[in-house]
Amino acid sequence: MITELRSIPLSPEMRAPQTAPLLEVDRLKAYYKTQMFGVDREVRAVDDISLKVNRNEIYGLAGESSSGKSSLIKTIAGAIRPPLRVVEGSVRFNFKDGERDIYKLSPQELSAIRWSHLSYIMQGSMSVLNPVRRIKHAFVDFALPHVNAKGADFTSLVERHLKRVHLDPAVLQAYPHELSGGMRQRVTIALATVCGPEFIIADEPTTALDVIVQKGVLLMLREIQQELRSSVLFVTHDMAVHANLTDRLGIMYAGRLVEEGRTRDLFKRPLHPYTAHLISSLPRIGDEAPKKGLEGSPPSLANPPPGCRFHPRCPLAIDICRLEAPPMMEILPGHRAACHVAQADPTRVETVG
Amino acid sequence: MSAFKIFRDLFSHNGEFAIGLVLLLVVLAVAACSFFSPYPPMDVYVVPPDVPPSWEHPLGTTSRGQDVFWQLTFAIRNTLLFGIVVAILSRIISLFVGLISGYKGGWVDRVLMSINDTFVVIPLFPILVLFYFIMRDQMSWALLAVITALLGWAYDARLIRSIAMSLRTREFTRQAVFSGMSTGKIVLQEHLPFVLPIVFSTTMNNINWSIGIEVTLSVLGFTDINTPTIGGMIYWANQHAALVSGIWWWVTFPVALVIMLFIGLFLLAISMNEYIDPRSRLSRLGGQA
Amino acid sequence: MRAYLTYLSKRLVQFAVVVFVGINITYLVTHMTPIDPVEQSISAATSFGSTSPEAIEMMRQSLRQLYGLEGSPWEQYVSFWKRILVGDFGPSLSAFPTPVSQLILRALPWTVGLLLVSTLLTWFLGNLLGGLAGYYRNSRVLRAFGVISMALKPIPYYVVALVLLIIFGFLWPVLPISGGATMASDRSNTFAFALDVAVHSILPVLSLMAVGIGGWFMGMRSLVSNVVTEDYVIYAELAGVKRNKILGSYVMRNALGPQVTGLALQLGAIFNGAIITEYVFGYPGVGSLLISAVHAGDYSLVLGITTISIVAVSATVLLIDLLYPLIDPRVEAR
Repeated sequence: MITELRSIPLSPEMRAPQTAPLLEVDRLKAYYKTQMFGVDREVRAVDDISLKVNRNEIYGLAGESSSGKSSLIKTIAGAIRPPLRVVEGSVRFNFKDGERDIYKLSPQELSAIRWSHLSYIMQGSMSVLNPVRRIKHAFVDFALPHVNAKGADFTSLVERHLKRVHLDPAVLQAYPHELSGGMRQRVTIALATVCGPEFIIADEPTTALDVIVQKGVLLMLREIQQELRSSVLFVTHDMAVHANLTDRLGIMYAGRLVEEGRTRDLFKRPLHPYTAHLISSLPRIGDEAPKKGLEGSPPSLANPPPGCRFHPRCPLAIDICRLEAPPMMEILPGHRAACHVAQADPTRVETVG
Repeated sequence: MSAFKIFRDLFSHNGEFAIGLVLLLVVLAVAACSFFSPYPPMDVYVVPPDVPPSWEHPLGTTSRGQDVFWQLTFAIRNTLLFGIVVAILSRIISLFVGLISGYKGGWVDRVLMSINDTFVVIPLFPILVLFYFIMRDQMSWALLAVITALLGWAYDARLIRSIAMSLRTREFTRQAVFSGMSTGKIVLQEHLPFVLPIVFSTTMNNINWSIGIEVTLSVLGFTDINTPTIGGMIYWANQHAALVSGIWWWVTFPVALVIMLFIGLFLLAISMNEYIDPRSRLSRLGGQA
Repeated sequence: MRAYLTYLSKRLVQFAVVVFVGINITYLVTHMTPIDPVEQSISAATSFGSTSPEAIEMMRQSLRQLYGLEGSPWEQYVSFWKRILVGDFGPSLSAFPTPVSQLILRALPWTVGLLLVSTLLTWFLGNLLGGLAGYYRNSRVLRAFGVISMALKPIPYYVVALVLLIIFGFLWPVLPISGGATMASDRSNTFAFALDVAVHSILPVLSLMAVGIGGWFMGMRSLVSNVVTEDYVIYAELAGVKRNKILGSYVMRNALGPQVTGLALQLGAIFNGAIITEYVFGYPGVGSLLISAVHAGDYSLVLGITTISIVAVSATVLLIDLLYPLIDPRVEAR
């Protein structure tokens, strides 16, 4: 467990909810629509999701693989390609120099906000850097169009940034294969933050790394975030990382957001049985009780079960769960969940796990 | 899936396969006609020379007094047969080298692949010319086929090796090793079935390659020019300056037919490659294991 | 650096193996035959003119050494290698007493020039168009180009050259169809001469390109369609890097490595094609020299050209291999 990360004190704004959130996702639906042998197929990867990310906060997004979290962040980043399409809803950013609706921007406008306002740290640190060119070229390609510096000025800007994140500027001369995995991930984070973006999407940036390296990388991310005072949307299936890094947390299941609240509240008092299960599966020192696995597997997004999508695996399922999808409702202050049982009696869920 | 069903699926869903097959069938039909030829293939001056295409001689006649159509039937048959013989012989070598190299690994692999790469790199044509130069009149159709096969196996051996290598680490191979099967048995019984698809598609390409060699050598007169082949026909046409004297049908029809054969075989090879791509096939295997 | 040295030594060993095996093949080929090619060659070479008995004896001497017919089998083999290592193939029989090496040296620039221009053009254009076709999958023009070049690919060099010869020699005679330059051209005017050479090379270059371009095109197209799904390409797109930049520095640049390796592997076949093309268009290079040497029964010239082709092609392959790390810095990966 990574506990020392919490040593950085939380700033007051972070606790207080902001009036104008930086990111507003409103009733977003994004489906994979394919046509094969004349049969239309529809995979509802992002199904009616609304969420807000405040300024200067790390918002975590958790869920199993194929829960739709990758599709959601791709949609938020405006980086979707057919067959994935936005069917309904909007993604709005309130940047310092004005509001932007991602799906109303021209390709040029979208390119212009990338890296300067909205940047992305991708999954797979091993392969996100061009293997046949030196690291410095990546900085030039990615950042140069977004800063007011050229030539030597740009180089010194990049070197200053690298020093700020405790990297030796000599890495600029290296090829990706000459760096270790952790080093490569640090370089990628430095690359994503060199323009001081307001919003950073981090897609499982530490998944492929071993635990010790992971800790260092997370610490680095936390430091940069505090220094830039930017918001981070952090995606991982690793609940331990969420517990130690994120301020607020959203849980996804089968294309839907099922619970959202302050990370601490969520861990202390989960309102959705699925969240409760995720938390109970975390190892705890001194806990010798055997871990129970969740029966069944996540549903196919092409053919999800009716009603609440979790009901076939839910120990608390009641009749209404099989018929009606529960809406996302604020049950406790700043703590929303989509569960019929919890909406009726928030204390019931604690019996899970 | 039965072979017939694969065949039918390919024909109805893959345009390249369908066109390739039709072209090949046309060429085969022409070759089959040779069995009904009214004239013996080696005889000259059996018909009036230099007659343009007409009802009596649909593709005209040559300056040597041969009917172009009937001559062509023998020529394409011999050329095709040459390609097939070379392909079969060289397949045997490339299977042997590829499977052993891929299965054994280590120094055996290094030595075999070093030799293999040599055959890939060295220019084979001058060696074939040198060979003809030494053999001269003793050069025969069969001898050329053997030599061409001896020189033309290397490219495909590497392909087969890469597949054999991926098979080596698989569960069933280890099981076979532990149960005391010999190398030869493992390779033949366990590995051969997996490499056969790729052998199939390389056969088409190899036939193309060897026919190209044969045509080129005989056009230059560097083979047994008395056996009628496509190259041999062009050789004799060149000897009689057919193009200069306007006997275009003597050259055009053999060239057109052989181009049909080349494109037909090539299309078959690429469409089969797509169908039985070794990577997708291997990944399918992985899914079952 | 260490990795590069290991790589370097491996390539050098492979070069030595290729030359060794290649030369041994020629030795085997020349020794497998029951015919005495020395007497056969001498009678063929001397049947046309009057050559002095001393000259014939010298020829016989040189030929017997080249064939390795003197002394024990081991001595034969050693003397064969000695001759080859110093590049001394004795006098040509058909152009007696001009040394074979001199004839080859005279023809070599033509072949090298033809091969260099046609191979670089073919490789460059094939890869460029193939890369564009893989990246812009919906372009109709590029798809049409793909179909045409694919149809040309399986056809042997000779047939393509012959078709071009028919078109430009008889149907639409606008280009010179034979020779490397106009016979009586004034070589003191460098520019006019260069132009003359260039015009004469159009058809040979064109026929080599017609056959070769499809393979590069298709190879690059499928490589590119694989590379575009790589993380580094997707990441660059996410970052809003310009499309041209992505296509050039990310997609094509990464697909280039296998195509350079492919060039090294194809070189032998390309050389074969050049021999044929030279013959069809009467181009005064090594290929034409080889074929006329066969017709003239000039054994030492045929053997000389064969061995020099093997050494030259494998040396070029070595050169490409040594330059490969410039394309892909991960040399160990190969």
